Amino acid sequence: MVAAVSPPGAAGAATIIASFHGTHCASPSRAAAPRPRYHGSACCFAAKPTPAAAVASEPGQDQDVDDEGGVLGAANGADATLSTRKKRRARKGKRSAAAQQQEAEEEEARRKAEEEAAAAKKKKAEEESRAASLDLDEVMAVSPVGLGRRSRQLFDEVWRKFSRLGQMSSASATEALAEAEQAVLSRGGPMCEFTVPGAQDTTVLVVGATSRIGRIVVRKLMLRGYNVKALVRRDDPEVIDMLPRSVDIAVGDVGDPLAVQSAVSGCSKIIYCATARSTITGDLNRVDNQGVRNVSKAFQDYYNEMAQLRAGKSSKSKLLIAKFKSAKSLKGWEVNQGSYFPNAYASGSSFDEGIDASFEFSEGGQAVFAGFVFTRGGYVEISKRLSLPLGSTLDRYDGLLLSVGGNGRSYVVILETGPLADTSQSKKYFARMTTKVGFCRVRVPFSAFRPVKPEDPPLDPFLVHTFTIRFEPKRQRPGDGTQGATDPRNFELILEYIKALPTGQETDFILVSCTGSGIEPNRREQVLKAKKAGEDALRRSGLGYTIVRPGPLQEEPGGQRALIFDQGNRISQAISCADVADICVKALHDSTARNKSFDVCYEYVSEQGNELYELVAHLPDKANNYLTPALSVLEKNT
Amino acid sequence: MATSTSLAAALPSRVTSPGRRAALSCTTSRAQPRPHPVRAVSSVGPRCRLVVTCNAQAAAPMSIGQGTPVRPTSVLVVGATGTLGRQVVRRALDEGYDVRCLVRPRPAPADFLRDWGATVVNADLSKPETIPATLVGVHTVIDCATGRPEEPIRTVDWEGKVALIQCAKAMGIQKYVFYSIHNCDKHPEVPLMEIKYCTERFIQDTGLDYTIIRLCGFMQGLIGQYAVPILEEKSVWGTDAPTRIAYMDTQDVARLTFVALRNEKASKKLLTFAGPRAWTTQEVITLCERLAGQDANVTTVPVAVLRFTRQLTRFFQWTNDVADRLAFSEVLSSDTVFSAPMNETYQLLGVEAKDILTLEKYLQDYFSNILKKLKGLKAQSKQSDIYF
Repeated sequence: MVAAVSPPGAAGAATIIASFHGTHCASPSRAAAPRPRYHGSACCFAAKPTPAAAVASEPGQDQDVDDEGGVLGAANGADATLSTRKKRRARKGKRSAAAQQQEAEEEEARRKAEEEAAAAKKKKAEEESRAASLDLDEVMAVSPVGLGRRSRQLFDEVWRKFSRLGQMSSASATEALAEAEQAVLSRGGPMCEFTVPGAQDTTVLVVGATSRIGRIVVRKLMLRGYNVKALVRRDDPEVIDMLPRSVDIAVGDVGDPLAVQSAVSGCSKIIYCATARSTITGDLNRVDNQGVRNVSKAFQDYYNEMAQLRAGKSSKSKLLIAKFKSAKSLKGWEVNQGSYFPNAYASGSSFDEGIDASFEFSEGGQAVFAGFVFTRGGYVEISKRLSLPLGSTLDRYDGLLLSVGGNGRSYVVILETGPLADTSQSKKYFARMTTKVGFCRVRVPFSAFRPVKPEDPPLDPFLVHTFTIRFEPKRQRPGDGTQGATDPRNFELILEYIKALPTGQETDFILVSCTGSGIEPNRREQVLKAKKAGEDALRRSGLGYTIVRPGPLQEEPGGQRALIFDQGNRISQAISCADVADICVKALHDSTARNKSFDVCYEYVSEQGNELYELVAHLPDKANNYLTPALSVLEKNT
Repeated sequence: MATSTSLAAALPSRVTSPGRRAALSCTTSRAQPRPHPVRAVSSVGPRCRLVVTCNAQAAAPMSIGQGTPVRPTSVLVVGATGTLGRQVVRRALDEGYDVRCLVRPRPAPADFLRDWGATVVNADLSKPETIPATLVGVHTVIDCATGRPEEPIRTVDWEGKVALIQCAKAMGIQKYVFYSIHNCDKHPEVPLMEIKYCTERFIQDTGLDYTIIRLCGFMQGLIGQYAVPILEEKSVWGTDAPTRIAYMDTQDVARLTFVALRNEKASKKLLTFAGPRAWTTQEVITLCERLAGQDANVTTVPVAVLRFTRQLTRFFQWTNDVADRLAFSEVLSSDTVFSAPMNETYQLLGVEAKDILTLEKYLQDYFSNILKKLKGLKAQSKQSDIYF
């Protein structure tokens, strides 16, 4: 705690350490101890590295130390610097505050102590040159300076305690109290509702730190002891002044991939609360769509880069299951056809029945699965035995991501599990995926797979060995009789790649989107379109995401009213910026928030006498964490 | 608002005899309207009696109604570096307020406030000319300032506060929260309590929209006073006074403050915040001993000795500040209970009693936390003993 101040102050802490060790440590720094009384025991732990600091910073003094003391100092220094380096960084600001409090308090005493210390040191050096093994306490005892100081210390101590008895403890909190409390707070001590375990090791990038929500997010993060990095558009003085001083500031526009890349490095979480300033389409696209895309891409790139440095794979990168870039890559894929009505198929000689399908590499360099299914209840499928790279199993992944093109049919993805040798025991799980006309990427989470036989257990991705994409024509309604190009029984699916999305406990990327209510109606569609595109880009990035869609924002203090969490665009109320910020910060470490999108707003309060029902809702306060129960009922992968 | 509000308040410089008490409270309770802003510094006998008269008519009517409206989220915290002040700042920031902190100019600024995201403005309550600039654009003033123990009690706690309150009135501050001391009206012999009481009256007379919160004692104070000495195996000083104090966590105080701030029903009210249970010094020490698992080396000072010292120090001019510091001993000897029934307050604020931290829980958390750290430290020191 006092490592930053002058050596005598540090030596004061060292005295306490020595007394804690319970051994009689004849450290020279003890001679320079001024008044160690203001160091609560709480400070002592933080002050651990100080003996080393005191020794190291004064080479002259170091020479005076007899061998044992030197070794102790070195040993202490070695582990102390190691263990406290991280903490020290996190408490930069607080420490200086405490140090400065102490400075104000002890300036007078220190000046004297410094003079005395210098005198004592000189004397000691002389004496030690004569007799190296002389005990330091004896030196102090014989020196009149030491005697005087001691008696004064004693008197001060007694007087301080005595006078404190006659004071209001509530009103006149002495500096010593404040300091002790400071130490308690900064160490994440008791009753510090704000600190989050592990916050010092987490760096959060806040994109749009000067926005209405961003400002509060930054403050909340700082209060909880996170390292915060802020991405701002301009580095004007007034912008910088808005942010706390120990926030790292990265300057750049989210539309600029290079700027984003440098901003993302070193971060472990991202909260994206930037919004376009206008509703001009270009602006919307740049911030709400391309910006999210850039940041999530840069984040993934950063993770991969870090993983490469460790000569390993990033836990957040996707796993390539199949890539269709050459004719060779189609090897192993089989085309099968079948029918849900086996006997109908056997006797199938009807005029308009027939199935044809092929999976081949076209001249254009695309893997095309195309054909038609005219038979009632018929289907075609392509399937392959999965051959994953050594050491990776699908249970560490959350779902599948397919990059496909074609004419926009709906397909069924089937995963087969069970022992490889005996296919009769295998269980099948299916999930439907819909594609668009043209190219798109489709996310199919493992949680969406349902067993074909209802009695089977839920899908265990670890056991998956075969992957199948099946096309079955939708049942034709009698109404639409027109055939030809739009015949739903024709299909074409261009496959680009199949990847697995990594799993994880926590969310990596929190995006503040919007519900659309509260935007001027004539631009609402464009705004929502850009936001939607950004959300989709994030979902497909493989990062753990949380998408918060608040109602119209209000500038008022948060934590006052109950909140409604919902999915499906049904909310109507407003919400305060502070509440949104609180949700963002809470979601950082909440496993229920991972891979979820939700709307949030204030609870609807009906007018007096007009209540239809009584809502059982609770206000967020320090005792309860409202987010986890609220989110646990909402659907994942939305 | 258009009429000139002349406010007069008087506070004697020092109470030297119990006999003067009645006369004194009489003077202070009467707010004398004066036609002119007169500052009369009249000497009454050997003692100096200072009369502060102030004129709080200003551009208030002009500033209200036109111009940019002040955002209701803008808050000024006075005394933000103190035990309570910093908790108030934290709470305010966390609830999404824009917090400005009034702190004294120092060689090294209060960086932790900036790090939390508050804006720090430098001003000194003892220099009234520095105050107005800090109040621009502020909706609510939360006043948790108290003079440091080493400085004379009046400069900040009375003169500074009067200046601040007048300024707040003149500049149209829309809410003023003031922290006072419980029972301060009953102990005029303690200078600090009397000052707080006078300030309460002063605020009530100004017509500001105020909330006055009377506090009993902070749990945080106990750490330095009892918990740390016990852990360090140093002597703990206590009195044998039967006074009971209902200690409260400063974080709870801050939380309830903001609930009260937003509650219409708490406006122009005097609330008392007290902890769940009132404790004597001996009980607190016993609790600490039990939790720390070691006996305390208690030095009990009889209250009579404290009182005697106070009487003694009052004789000399140069020890008068010391006497003021010891003034609380008068209260200690008077068998007062610093506690108040909180049910009504809880009901008014819509807070549940179970959310208020008890002293047992607070100290338990503290000790379990610190003993854990201490264990780690001892393990480390054992390792280094090998080299020793």
